[in-house]
Amino acid sequence: MALRFSDIVEEARLSARALKDYGDHFFHPTVRLGVTGLSRAGKTVFITALIRGLTRGGRFPVFEPLASGRIARARLEPQPDDAVPRFDYENHVKTLVEARRWPNSTVDISELRLVIDYQRPNGADRTLTLDIVDYPGEWLLDLPLLNQSYEQWSSQSLALSRQLPRERLAAPWHAYLATLKPQEPADEQAALAAARLFTDYLGACRDERFAMSLLPPGRFLMPGNLAGSPALTFAPLDLPADGVAPEGSLWAMMVRRYEAYKDVVVRPFFRDHFSRLDRQVVLVDALAAFNAGPAALVDLEAALAGILDCFRIGRSTFISSLFRPRIDRILFAASKADHLHHSSHDRLEAVLRRTVSGAVARAADTGADIDVVALSAVRATREAQVQRGRDKWPAILGTPSSGEIADGEAFDGSTEVATFPGELPGDPEQLFAGNGAFAGLSTAAAEQTDFRFLRFRPPQLESADAQGPALPHIRLDRALQFLIGDRLQ
Amino acid sequence: MSERTSHRKPTTFKLDDPRVMVISADDTSRPSRGTVQVTPEADPALLPVLVETPVEPSMRRGFRWGTVFWSAIAGLTLLGVGLGITGLIEDLFAKSEGLGFLGLGFAFAAALALSAVAAREAFGLMRLSSIEKLHRRAAAVLLSDDRRESRDIVQDLVKLAHQNPHLARARAALQGHAGDIIDGADLIRLAERELMTPLDQEARRLVSQAAQRVSILTAVSPRALIDVLFVLLASLRLIRQLARLYGGRPGTLGMIALMRHVIGHVAITGGMAASDSLVQQVLGHGIAAKLSQRLGEGILNGLLTARLGLAAIDVTRPLPFTALPRPALADLAKDLLRKRDVEEG
Repeated sequence: MALRFSDIVEEARLSARALKDYGDHFFHPTVRLGVTGLSRAGKTVFITALIRGLTRGGRFPVFEPLASGRIARARLEPQPDDAVPRFDYENHVKTLVEARRWPNSTVDISELRLVIDYQRPNGADRTLTLDIVDYPGEWLLDLPLLNQSYEQWSSQSLALSRQLPRERLAAPWHAYLATLKPQEPADEQAALAAARLFTDYLGACRDERFAMSLLPPGRFLMPGNLAGSPALTFAPLDLPADGVAPEGSLWAMMVRRYEAYKDVVVRPFFRDHFSRLDRQVVLVDALAAFNAGPAALVDLEAALAGILDCFRIGRSTFISSLFRPRIDRILFAASKADHLHHSSHDRLEAVLRRTVSGAVARAADTGADIDVVALSAVRATREAQVQRGRDKWPAILGTPSSGEIADGEAFDGSTEVATFPGELPGDPEQLFAGNGAFAGLSTAAAEQTDFRFLRFRPPQLESADAQGPALPHIRLDRALQFLIGDRLQ
Repeated sequence: MSERTSHRKPTTFKLDDPRVMVISADDTSRPSRGTVQVTPEADPALLPVLVETPVEPSMRRGFRWGTVFWSAIAGLTLLGVGLGITGLIEDLFAKSEGLGFLGLGFAFAAALALSAVAAREAFGLMRLSSIEKLHRRAAAVLLSDDRRESRDIVQDLVKLAHQNPHLARARAALQGHAGDIIDGADLIRLAERELMTPLDQEARRLVSQAAQRVSILTAVSPRALIDVLFVLLASLRLIRQLARLYGGRPGTLGMIALMRHVIGHVAITGGMAASDSLVQQVLGHGIAAKLSQRLGEGILNGLLTARLGLAAIDVTRPLPFTALPRPALADLAKDLLRKRDVEEG
């Protein structure tokens, strides 16, 4: 695509911003850590556990600065961006520890500033400011739209919606779409109905039984204060392969609104938040995809590939940090590793590594670091061996949330169970072998699935001191060491 | 699709079900038929973390003036020696041309030999430090469970083991696991079990042999000075043997460095051991000591050598002890005393 004037202006604004940030950071070293992931991946819990671990001192043997005692203290400070909501850390902790519920999910961007006072290994006192930016991963899936025209996006979305198992879910919308004629004069009611049916279809795809991930535009499912505005009232149309939109037609209206969506929603996010990140964590809930079936896993892979294409990765150099900041470390974290026995964690990691393998290869060329880890920010389970006669299972013990169903029984939220969630194969390729690779909820009955990952309640914690209990975790320290360990040297 | 047949389906057991019993890990009673036993496992994250005390504090404080001083002094000495030799050769040439050429020849031979020795020393030091680095990296991986790093370490280990032909089979077995999906820490443990088992046995034999030799010889030697000299020589020999066994080939400088580390290690771990096992062993066999004072001294010297040997194992071994038990002084002392008792009897 030819370089347009608006693109050049956009780049110039980014560079100006980067230059200003560089000046600020020169005196106050700052790391902007982006935390993202598709919905229900565990972003809020991850940040809550991270802040709690740093401020209160958790059990982090692998996170060297804390384990060796070099971090004097970490404290929360007012964040620099006045227009962004604050991450509601205190309430999230309360929900987790006292009510034993998982915090509400991320629907908007939020931010929190953590200031870490530490000593370098040679003894000098230093301060590192860590800005944690939490945003929904769905917004990332919007970024590729910046390089797509309405016609391209429309045909892609339509093609995607005609694949299994989406086709069944999209049937009402397809039926309505067939009655629309793009060339005819614009009709606000038709646009509204199409947008509503399209949104319903996206929402249905996200259901637990299907767990689809690739669902742009992201704001359709979490509209916030834009709900009902024209920028969110468009939908793909069945368009002829070539030709231009006649003036005043439905097609032309959709094109205008699509461009408005990009201008109002996507570009500001990219400019104000996304392009300024230094480090990035992408949390991935692979277990939901295992529950749902092979199609969900393939969809997740496509969504992750889409996310990766948006990152400006590469080793930070002096010039790049002046004009075009880059993300030099990305961590892909398979969250909820506590839902598996630890002997399977490596297999989970292998699956995730296979999913992002393309990105890892590309990152190696640019000099950026990419790592993959199976972690659990707040560990809700314990491990156990279960034996019945000759059969043995490596199982986990925990309290499923109320409403969870396994083996035809619903749980009330107070019964403890031992569960074996299914066996991950040693070779991740087996899972990607196509539609019959394994049985999930989207195609099979609940008793015949190969995996059943229950959702557990947060653990019961005894608080020994006034600050409250430390949160148990799995490999959160390794994630921290990778993300900010080098900046605390 | 053969894997599919062994594929286990997900299963869930409610703990309040009367057929489900929660038992502890050390309960060995036979379960009744038709019940499901749930054995909670110790949380791996809460187990005590084995952190090795670093062999040498790696902290570097500022500029190293001491090094500069010694380097400068060494440079000056070298210049002085060079000047002396040049003067000598000039004098020789002044006396007669033949003598001059002879002197020049000697000087060249000496220079050549010196550079060869220096190269060998440097090489030995490099090997020692690479083994130490390997040890530190392995200890770090045991903590961090980093898979990629553990692969690298095992590669380096295999390279190191290549020089020891007795490890060919163990090496092949380890390389067979290279492609498997194994946790980082588990891979290090696997490598330790495969590669270090035969070496550890040999090391133990070497240490107990040296300890026995020292204890016998100091028991019969007439003078304390000879005791001291002999213990010193025997320990030097032992350290060299151990370093070779585990893959290092220290030269003279390397031996000095190693000796320093070993003595440092004894000093770190010394207090503890002296307070329990050593004293116990000596007191327990107090009767033997009462029988003969020299015999008691001999045993004490043997035990000291054994302790030095154990410290040397810690320093020269490329992997920390995790999967395999660290040889304890008590075991070696038992060997030593049994031998003694047999001889006594």
